[in-house]
Amino acid sequence: MSIEINNISKQFGKFHALQNINFNVPSGELVALLGPSGCGKTTLLRIIAGLESADDGRIAFHGDDTTDKNVRERQVGFVFQHYALFRHMTVFENVAFGLRVRPKATRPSEAEIRRRVRELLGLVQLDWLADRYPPQLSGGQRQRIALARALAVEPKVLLLDEPFGALDAKVRKDLRRWLRRLHDELHITSVFVTHDQEEALEVADRIVVMNHGKVEQIGSPQQVYDQPASPFVYQFLGNVNEFESRVNKGRASINEVTVDSVEHQSVDDAAALAYIRPHDIEVLKEPNGAPSFSATVNYIHSLGPLVRLELQRQDDERIIEAELTRERFLQLQLIEGSQVYLQPKQVRVFLKH
Amino acid sequence: MTAITVTQHVRYQTKVAHRRATSEPAWIRWTLIASALAFLTLFLFVPLAAVFTEALRKGWDTYLSALIDPDALSAIWLTLIAAAIALPLNLVFGVAAAWAIAKFEFRGKSVLITLIDLPFAVSPVVAGLIYVLIFGLQGWFGEWLIDNDMKVIFAIPGIVLATVFVTFPFVARELIPLMQAQGKDEEEAALVLGASGWQILWRVTLPNIKWGLLYGMILTNARAMGEFGAVSVVSGHIRGMTNTMPLHVEILYNEYQYAAAFAVASLLALLALVTLALKTFVEWQSAKNAAEFEKEANG
Repeated sequence: MSIEINNISKQFGKFHALQNINFNVPSGELVALLGPSGCGKTTLLRIIAGLESADDGRIAFHGDDTTDKNVRERQVGFVFQHYALFRHMTVFENVAFGLRVRPKATRPSEAEIRRRVRELLGLVQLDWLADRYPPQLSGGQRQRIALARALAVEPKVLLLDEPFGALDAKVRKDLRRWLRRLHDELHITSVFVTHDQEEALEVADRIVVMNHGKVEQIGSPQQVYDQPASPFVYQFLGNVNEFESRVNKGRASINEVTVDSVEHQSVDDAAALAYIRPHDIEVLKEPNGAPSFSATVNYIHSLGPLVRLELQRQDDERIIEAELTRERFLQLQLIEGSQVYLQPKQVRVFLKH
Repeated sequence: MTAITVTQHVRYQTKVAHRRATSEPAWIRWTLIASALAFLTLFLFVPLAAVFTEALRKGWDTYLSALIDPDALSAIWLTLIAAAIALPLNLVFGVAAAWAIAKFEFRGKSVLITLIDLPFAVSPVVAGLIYVLIFGLQGWFGEWLIDNDMKVIFAIPGIVLATVFVTFPFVARELIPLMQAQGKDEEEAALVLGASGWQILWRVTLPNIKWGLLYGMILTNARAMGEFGAVSVVSGHIRGMTNTMPLHVEILYNEYQYAAAFAVASLLALLALVTLALKTFVEWQSAKNAAEFEKEANG
């Protein structure tokens, strides 16, 4: 069941929460809405669910306009950031809730409800918790119960609001891989909201990057990471170094270092910003002839398999971050205060407006 | 740091560890406790004891006969009726108002909150007078009521109205902070799962607020039965007809029937004690629930 989002706008007072949002979620895909807090991603998710109404625009499920449909009729599954389990009901009753509140004509029999709930608890691997109450569960367990509860009503689409936001790092990682596998099993069209780029890159089929109520870029994790459409996307997906630069006929220069910038072939001498990711910087102890920045090592941070260097350029004393593998770092035998030469391996250039 | 200052520092630290940081010297603590106890005894325990001693001064027979006197019975009956009508009205109103205020955003919300608090701010006597001015003989609707052969002031409807007015805020005030703290996540979850408004109210909202609701009802009931000022203005003090228990006590006392007055008063005092016990139990239960809620929110 695909989701079509057409021209959605929403305002809270004078604040434009969403401005002309347009995109489609193809059937069976797992899509991430990624952006900093306050960018409108949760509002958009709530509008898709029907918990919030848009000022303008339409939402359709598989071509079926649902804009004026009540939340109850939309048949969506919604997983809340803080789980929102019914705290006075057992886990079993929580999962059974969506079936029990159906009108008599469509409500399954008690035996059928029991069978379905058992099946779902088995799916989330928590059947042994059926008689517990939510306060007795861990965060990860609660989130899986919340997911089972949402799936119980056989929703057409599954919407998840920061599903792992309240969990600690280890559980988060386990749970998102588990969610990915579950999605591959069930193939239910899903949209999840996150501010964590790593989470989006790892789990999603496609990522919708949002900022200030607008869509910045839509694409596969590979695309948004390797070909960011705007400086914002580039900066939001991982660490970057920013350089003042000038572009002239397909060449971008940062001081005396000049690199190719093929997408700006037709530009005549314009101001631009150049971005280099920390792992796209080659660190050398001796100059090798090619143009480079000379810099000194200020600090060395060891991050397990990686080593992050904080470097100071000698020309304008700006700080640059570079990341090396541990192996390369040991090879170079760097200490704080070492003199090094930096060569960008890959640069993204955006013209200044 | 020299050796001597180090020893001093260690000694100081042990001393601090022995005494909790916030506690005062013993003599201050005992003086404060004693003065609090003296205050409580003088203003609470002695009067309470006095009510029962005075009531039983002339023996059980007088005590009982004061209670089964037809006027006393009618006063008890009227008090129960007023409370029995005020309680469900405030229950429905309180839940509805708290639900609206805690779970929805709308214009005029702060005006509504102020209106709910109004009975706390207005003197009960003034509240009673308002009803006299509106429904009394010379009041706005006075003539119309007479023409239609209806009586509000100096009759049971007036007493019920006054009681409802003064007990208005209790349930709502108790529930609003509770419902605000719980948020509307669970209601929204129920809604996307396909529950109707009624189902959400009965299956999700009410079970979550049951202890707060009970607490509000206990307070409402206590106030409804004990209200004097507002009821006094609208009642007209007709014996056996429009007297509630507090009013009956006043009449008996003014007629120098002390034993009888204290006997009826002892019933009100008993009601207060039962209320207190119930309130403590409910507070204990809701604290237990809140602790669980906290655990869930943090866990």
